[in-house]
Amino acid sequence: MARAAVASEAAGVPSVSIVCESFDGQAIATARGFGFEGLPLAVTVGHVDAQSASDMESNFVDHTVDAIVAGLTGASAARNGTNGTASPGDRDMGESTALGPYDTAISGSVDEINDAFAERGWSDGLPIVPPTRDRVERFLTGTGLDPQQSLGIARTTGRDMTVWSVATNAVMAGCEPRHLGVLLAAARILADPHYGAEHSGNTTGADALMILDGPSAAGLGFNSGVGALRDGVRANTSVGRWLRLYQRNVFGFTAAEHDKSTFGNSFRVVLCEDAAALADIGWDPVSAEFGFGRNDDVLTMARFNSGAIVGSAFGSTPHEIVPYLADGLARITGWDLGHLYGLGRMHYRPLLVLSPILARTCAAAGWTKANLAEALFEHARIPAWRFEKLIGEWTNLAAGRPRLTDVVAAGDLPSQFAASDDPDRLVPIVSEPAKFVIAVAGDANRTNAYVFSHDGPHGDYTAQAVERFGYG
Amino acid sequence: MTEPSYDVVWPGAPSGIERRDLAPRLDTLDGKRIGFLWDYLFRGDELFPVLERELAARYEGVTFVGYETFGNTHGGDEAAVIDRLPDSLRSRAVDAVVSGMGC
Repeated sequence: MARAAVASEAAGVPSVSIVCESFDGQAIATARGFGFEGLPLAVTVGHVDAQSASDMESNFVDHTVDAIVAGLTGASAARNGTNGTASPGDRDMGESTALGPYDTAISGSVDEINDAFAERGWSDGLPIVPPTRDRVERFLTGTGLDPQQSLGIARTTGRDMTVWSVATNAVMAGCEPRHLGVLLAAARILADPHYGAEHSGNTTGADALMILDGPSAAGLGFNSGVGALRDGVRANTSVGRWLRLYQRNVFGFTAAEHDKSTFGNSFRVVLCEDAAALADIGWDPVSAEFGFGRNDDVLTMARFNSGAIVGSAFGSTPHEIVPYLADGLARITGWDLGHLYGLGRMHYRPLLVLSPILARTCAAAGWTKANLAEALFEHARIPAWRFEKLIGEWTNLAAGRPRLTDVVAAGDLPSQFAASDDPDRLVPIVSEPAKFVIAVAGDANRTNAYVFSHDGPHGDYTAQAVERFGYG
Repeated sequence: MTEPSYDVVWPGAPSGIERRDLAPRLDTLDGKRIGFLWDYLFRGDELFPVLERELAARYEGVTFVGYETFGNTHGGDEAAVIDRLPDSLRSRAVDAVVSGMGC
């Protein structure tokens, strides 16, 4: 909404943006990230989704239409913040905006520095390692990188994603210098428009998961075994923490700027695939889906809404375990179907993380990942009426509450979604089998899986090669 | 024992963009063409008709270009829709836009 208004302003066409109450700060901050101060807004009373049609219309006519006119004409009633007060999008780096990258921002003890960082919104609530200039420089020693090299522009804030800023937040998070290649890959993903980092503060609160593949991962200290998705191993945990810090400090994902997540999740540790198990059963890693080879070190990242365990899968053949895995994928998929139709078009790609023993059960029967995906596509289904309610009546994510038969007729979903007009017919949760992403990690001999629902184009799967810098 | 003191650097990053001015505002909406931009969320399909009715009643000769003309500004095609927006606005002689809905 604000990005469209910014594009109009840049084209010389005046705009006004309609926002619900308390969304104004994010809209103003978004415009500021593109260089525009004071984007004109017209604020509605409350949230429109929680109002009857008649209340919404009268509120809109009585309170918002005048602000729309004022925003377009520059009349005195124009405002860009609720009650005309300073926008909450004004979180500024204070004195820091005048500081050079190597200047001292704060001096003090560890406790004083942690207090100051917390007060300024520069930390994630946990103690940080003080980022002294010396520590940051040592983090980059031997890499040959120019600290001021730009990795891209943060699309939320307009800030320059310098190597120095990556390293500073890495020191704070407790990362080791040997993890720099993974961090730079993550930064490049954030800079890639395909990923859509600007959506990382959306209200539904998905969070990113980094998936690491390649021969160097184990040597860099990443855990792919027991507790693969749990904090406890420095590499997985500190790199996961770095992503949260970097999104706060460079992309501005704080409540004062770009974060409108209603609940959110804790940061996710890096999921490192079990390269040895994959090689043993002849399956490709996740990175292969994005054009990389088995011997490439690669980081893949996407944003996920919800996660759930598929516990104690019972069976000695893939035919026995697939219905349960598919049930897990269907259970985890709810409003996210809006990324299949509504918010997105066939963008929904849930992630299934198999423990190695489950992957071996499939491979022992001669199944490839593609065979497994085909089977999941057949079994992971929900009633058509439920699909329609999830994108329509219950969420309004697909305006007009369309029927799947109409969506298929319009060519926006494949024919499997309209095999009949029976509301109880079962329909897929993805547009084609290849939309399932399958990873292998976790305790090698436990028969559990983990499923994640995906946030579609608002954090779409994006992969980058990991530089080794003489470490792995 | 005195705790050591540390001099630390800022964890942010410098601005990589130039400040820009908003487009000039209109003197009136009389006779102007207003484009509606929608992210296909939060009841824009109900509110834009209300807005059109209200503005048409207040301003003589005001006309409108519907949101369906421009495409979904927030969906999977967001980047493409926004990239072509300047040309879309220019070719339709749009004088101003109303963009919704941020909630």
